[in-house]
Amino acid sequence: MTAPIRTLDDRIRPSDTPDSPLDTQEYFINMGPQHPATHGVLRLMLKLDGETIREVIPVLGYIHRGIEKMGEAMTYRQFVHLTDRIDYLSALVNNWVVARGVEVATGTETNDRIEYIRTIFAEIERIQSHMLWWGVLGMDLGAFTPFLYGFRDRETLTDIFEETIGCRLTMNYIQPGGVMHDLHPNFVKRTKAALAYSKSKLHEYEELLSGNVILQERTRDVGILSAEDAVALGVTGPPLRASGVAYDLRKVEPYGVYDRVDFRTAVGSVGDCWDRYWVRVEEMRQSIHIVEQLIDNIPEGKTMLMKPAKKIVIPEGVYYNQMETARGILGMVLVSDGTSDKPYRIHLRSPNFNNLWALDAMSRGGRLGDLVANVSSLDLVVPDIDR
Amino acid sequence: MNVFGSGPGIERRVNVANNDVDVIVAPRGSSRPPGIISWFRSVAIAIRSLLTGMRVTAGYLFGRDKVVTQQYPENRETLEMNERFRGRLKLTHDDNGYMNCNGCKFCEIACPNQSIIIKDRRNPVNDKSELDQFIWRLDTCTFCNACIQVCPHDALEWGQDFEGAVYDRRLLVYTLNSYAGPQARLIERAIKKDEQPEELKATIEPRSRYGTGVPLAGDELPGVPALGGEDKEST
Repeated sequence: MTAPIRTLDDRIRPSDTPDSPLDTQEYFINMGPQHPATHGVLRLMLKLDGETIREVIPVLGYIHRGIEKMGEAMTYRQFVHLTDRIDYLSALVNNWVVARGVEVATGTETNDRIEYIRTIFAEIERIQSHMLWWGVLGMDLGAFTPFLYGFRDRETLTDIFEETIGCRLTMNYIQPGGVMHDLHPNFVKRTKAALAYSKSKLHEYEELLSGNVILQERTRDVGILSAEDAVALGVTGPPLRASGVAYDLRKVEPYGVYDRVDFRTAVGSVGDCWDRYWVRVEEMRQSIHIVEQLIDNIPEGKTMLMKPAKKIVIPEGVYYNQMETARGILGMVLVSDGTSDKPYRIHLRSPNFNNLWALDAMSRGGRLGDLVANVSSLDLVVPDIDR
Repeated sequence: MNVFGSGPGIERRVNVANNDVDVIVAPRGSSRPPGIISWFRSVAIAIRSLLTGMRVTAGYLFGRDKVVTQQYPENRETLEMNERFRGRLKLTHDDNGYMNCNGCKFCEIACPNQSIIIKDRRNPVNDKSELDQFIWRLDTCTFCNACIQVCPHDALEWGQDFEGAVYDRRLLVYTLNSYAGPQARLIERAIKKDEQPEELKATIEPRSRYGTGVPLAGDELPGVPALGGEDKEST
């Protein structure tokens, strides 16, 4: 399969055959890089015909920090703390990808306690990430109340992190060979209380926003992404599942203890903003269900199997390892030369980078006003796009 | 207009990549049948959905006493952070005020961005390497906990202090140790075995937070005058 490669010059040239029967002229406007609805420094060049979007051209690089290059100068254990900062709402899963990559490469077996702790934290983080997204989507669509409610409920979950880990956002907790601290004595009690609270609040979310006529009108049949397009563009995570492809790494290639828990994959049927909305709200429920099954059965055991000060040298080779974050599949390619304790090359396949390119497919032919709903329903974290 | 209402999803089983996966499909509702009566019905449903949302917000406005806001600067006296909270880095001391650090530089090696700089010196009495200055740069620290994790003497811990705002970036470079000299363990052993404990204690020199030649903190920079004496904390 071949596809023509189009440069930026090609894309910003006006098309010769305007679709409109009126003698209209195409024009460009810039959305961002400081636009509040792009949730960061993302710049979108919009080719417009009146209010109809002809093309969305994302322009990247405003928050590029060279994390992959910095990783080449750090040991594996040090590199973990940088992955907090690529997708800061999935910091623990990002840590886990590096940790599991190193463990697979060095042949280290972890015990059940470590895997339980990792899975529980990953799911709690998924809930808090979706809660934040829920609030921000409400605000993007014009309702300020969900933003406050989402942040308020997210606090109860970040309190769990703060108690055990000591940090709320960029945590650096999951490390090669285990986790940094053992669980706090209050952990089980606090988590159960927070889950019960979140469950009652999810019901409130349904009343407040899901059934709301304005949300429904602004999301139904808006920004439709077909399953073929989604697969072709490499879209993963909730946007892919909302298009009807039930591809979830937690089911298809289970890691951690996901193969021991019972949960359902939320999927959509059309692939519009409403499906993406509903899939995420349902994922919150399923994640609560997963944690409820695990929280009482955490086995005993050590929580760190490698000595923290010991050098980790990985045998020569190329290793790949991927996981499902709250936004899609995060993969890490690790190249080791077999002699140094630092990676020769690290590349991250970040979910948001691929999801971003679906914006053009789902917005083309739609209205400018719907673009904000589309961006919001993709749940982009811009530092993850640029890295 | 769709006749909406979110409701529960539809449970189904599909085959993905040769795995049977239990899925739950998003509800779609049904489209409105043509006719004026159904139009009025959809308007009624729309208004009811708005009122349902209003009921939630009104419940918080009246009735429910659920204040979640913390009045932060006012509640400073009673504010307690979690015990594992990563605030400002501290050196631990024993009951007599001697530090546990011996300047082994494990933390300096583990630090991912060179936020810790250890200067050591040799003690003239017992001829052992010991800590001269423990320099910690809060301005580049990412609070990753690596230094505390590798410390073999439990000499480091997080403080509870999180208010680090200052007007000059140079004030974020600290000397953490209060004195340069032997660690607590060596002083204890000298007292126990009577190996010149007084001479050992006499080698102790005080160090202050911004005092002695910390790079960037207090020193003169090209175009920037020196900050002056000690305790110039502008908080």
